[in-house]
Amino acid sequence: MSDNNNENEALLLVDDNPTNLQVLYQTLETTGCKLLVAKNGETALSIAQKAAPDLILLDIMMPGIDGFEVCRRLKVNPDTANIPVIFLSALTDTKDKVQGLQLGAVDYVSKPFQPDEVIARVNTHLTIHRLKREVEQKKDALEDELEAASDVQRRLLPKNLPEIAGLKLAVHYETSLYAGGDYYDIAQMADNQWGFLVADAEGHSAPAAVMMAMTCALFRSYPQPPAEPAELLYFLNEHLCKVADPSFVTALYVVYDANHHTLKIGRAGHPPPMIYRSSEKKAIEYPCGGVFPLGIDPYEQVPVTEAELQPGDRILMYTDGITERFSMDGKTYGEERLLRQLEGDPGSQPQEMLAAIMKDVNKFANGRPADDDQALLLAIVE
Amino acid sequence: MEISQKEENGIVFLAFKGRLDGKSAPEAEQTVKNILEDGNTRLLFDLELLEYLSSAGLRVILGAAKEMKRQDGKFVLCSLNAYVKEVFEVSGFGAIIPIAESVEAGIKEIA
Repeated sequence: MSDNNNENEALLLVDDNPTNLQVLYQTLETTGCKLLVAKNGETALSIAQKAAPDLILLDIMMPGIDGFEVCRRLKVNPDTANIPVIFLSALTDTKDKVQGLQLGAVDYVSKPFQPDEVIARVNTHLTIHRLKREVEQKKDALEDELEAASDVQRRLLPKNLPEIAGLKLAVHYETSLYAGGDYYDIAQMADNQWGFLVADAEGHSAPAAVMMAMTCALFRSYPQPPAEPAELLYFLNEHLCKVADPSFVTALYVVYDANHHTLKIGRAGHPPPMIYRSSEKKAIEYPCGGVFPLGIDPYEQVPVTEAELQPGDRILMYTDGITERFSMDGKTYGEERLLRQLEGDPGSQPQEMLAAIMKDVNKFANGRPADDDQALLLAIVE
Repeated sequence: MEISQKEENGIVFLAFKGRLDGKSAPEAEQTVKNILEDGNTRLLFDLELLEYLSSAGLRVILGAAKEMKRQDGKFVLCSLNAYVKEVFEVSGFGAIIPIAESVEAGIKEIA
């Protein structure tokens, strides 16, 4: 509650002079707060630790440890660091006020004080402290919600990668916030055919996560085996158009025939796959036509590109969170670096290769956190 | 990100400078929304000085294009640099949003 109901709040009043303490007590009784008192710094620290008051009014000049030292110790103790402190002292020197504020006090009242002024300042700081706590609680609650959404989302991804004879697979998936818009999935079909989907819902966090989940639901409810990329993308688009506006989802869908090593590629606004040819020791962005992203407008025609793979060839599907990962000086990782990585050690297992790619991407970013989700799906023909 | 706005002969010109990404998209979105709410029916984006365009930026442009279409208005993007042009090509947006080589060509397109 952010009104001025102070009943549940406690103030700690600290002054070595009993008369001053009494005047202060009588002044602040009207606030309705519970009042605690301490006659020296040691006692003040001990009460602050045990009772966790909502505000401390602290005299500076005291025998033993003075008010400045009390404040310093309160601020280094995590249990008491967040309790607001108002200094209350006969010292009117600006230097002392500055010192007090530098030590982390929120305010300073000079003695002799005006009762109304003290009450007003106490109420102001109690309100600020209360609101700050509320904001922190709401932030924690929101983070919990997002974490829960993230958990649900992770469960939408395939639990394990399938064992495909003659094809080794690996994936990397990470979101920039708790939940994200990147998605990958694999469909098993008859005759050793496999469908690989990598998609990227525009944006990050909750709205993107909802679109990602929608795409997942649609992909898994596709009424027949998704052997034709054009038909699948047409279907996903038809349904996403009803909900996405003005957002969208990019997708790359590849059907792999493991018996004949052939590929059929459909692309909706998504970066094309990268293919490494072991015979040429070279990786390229595989040229394939496409349509605009899912969820914008109905498609007239979805082009499909065919390709063939040879033993040792590699195909990489990814989201632009990889190629558009920024370095500290604002450069993007880019396609070229990713292509060179894909040309790495021919004996590599896909999982090792993805680990090397992510190491390179993170090295390039040099500590700059990712501001987009990053997903990679790598397949190597044996 | 800097957006400058002017109006000439019934066409609203928006010139973008810098990066249109997740950070600057909300401001750009609001600017476009205000223009559309004022009942303007001809909108030209000058992207000559646009250095970077993320998917959030694409959404802003797509939103403007779709809303213009709904209001029977005309919309065109002009003077894309090589990088931004590639973004439009790879993403397929080039097929649904009119693009002109220069501001002059853009004016002709929506006049």
